[in-house]
Amino acid sequence: MAANSPNEPDDATLLAAIGRLWQQLDPPPVGLADGVLARIAAEDLEYELLTLVDGEGALAGVRHAAAEEPEDPGAWLLEYEGRDLRVYVRLTRIEERTRLDGWVVPARPVLAQLRLEGSDEPMQSEVDEFGRFEFSSVQPGAHRLTFTDIPRGSTRPMITPPFWI
Amino acid sequence: MSERPTESPSVWEVAASHFDRWRAGDGSALDDLVRLLSPMLWQVVRASGLDHSTAEDVVQTTWLALVRSGDSITEPRAVAGWLCTSARRESWRVAKQSGRQLPAEDEAIARRLPDEPPPEGQVVLDDDNARLWACVLRLPERCQRLLRIVAAEARPDYSAIATELDMPIGSIGPTRGRCLEKLRHELVQTGEF
Repeated sequence: MAANSPNEPDDATLLAAIGRLWQQLDPPPVGLADGVLARIAAEDLEYELLTLVDGEGALAGVRHAAAEEPEDPGAWLLEYEGRDLRVYVRLTRIEERTRLDGWVVPARPVLAQLRLEGSDEPMQSEVDEFGRFEFSSVQPGAHRLTFTDIPRGSTRPMITPPFWI
Repeated sequence: MSERPTESPSVWEVAASHFDRWRAGDGSALDDLVRLLSPMLWQVVRASGLDHSTAEDVVQTTWLALVRSGDSITEPRAVAGWLCTSARRESWRVAKQSGRQLPAEDEAIARRLPDEPPPEGQVVLDDDNARLWACVLRLPERCQRLLRIVAAEARPDYSAIATELDMPIGSIGPTRGRCLEKLRHELVQTGEF
């Protein structure tokens, strides 16, 4: 750090002054905090959101079958990550239907539910001792998977972002 | 290490106390935290070159990430730093998606600041800021941009946090140091300090 003469401002003082300058030059919109709070209120925070592990630079959130594994158009894999759970989802096209199976790691007793967006009735599959779950035939559309501990514990259920089948 | 004015309590400490209250179940504490730190996040996000409405969206996304994964923050005083880092990363991710270049180091950061001219015409600066702004404007453009980024995340009690959490944030890299030196030179020239 440069030795400054007593009259010269040090780095921290200068940076603080620049910070104040920009606060005046570019103030936040008046409703910034309210917008944040409204957005938080609107979110479904009953669930912990699992995030898609992005290994190939695809946009987060939604992956489409066709884009996933061009060399193997019949099956593709999604991987999600939560705080203490990792979920692998495999989608296999068998003629007209799509089979969805997957694993939770580490294996633990959870209830996997698959919900087609816009439909009330989720399909259910209890994860077995190896962490495996399966839905043998899945309708086309946007789906979300949720995972709830059995018995329902102190942790929030987890939910994936929507993905397309 | 240079002397720092002791602000008591610092933004980080106030944030930490709101965060503690929120985790203890006090719903209004989150409102307090959002109102306290959103202006800082706005500066962080805007400094990385996003337009107004995208910047607002990124600030919101950053808070949602905190609400969803706040449990993973074990040290309450790290919450402000966590938010800044998340906001900066999310800004870069969004900027990258929209076709802007992804920065890595100081030099790269400095190249990708707002294309729009600083809105100095829209605001009336107080005297101190007007003098400082005049000096900043005499710096190379790259320095102007870089210093804005660094200043947006400046932390009042950086040294304490850095020691405790072993985080090198806020350290003054060589490029930033040179820019600050130039600014200091300008200020001395004009007799401001």
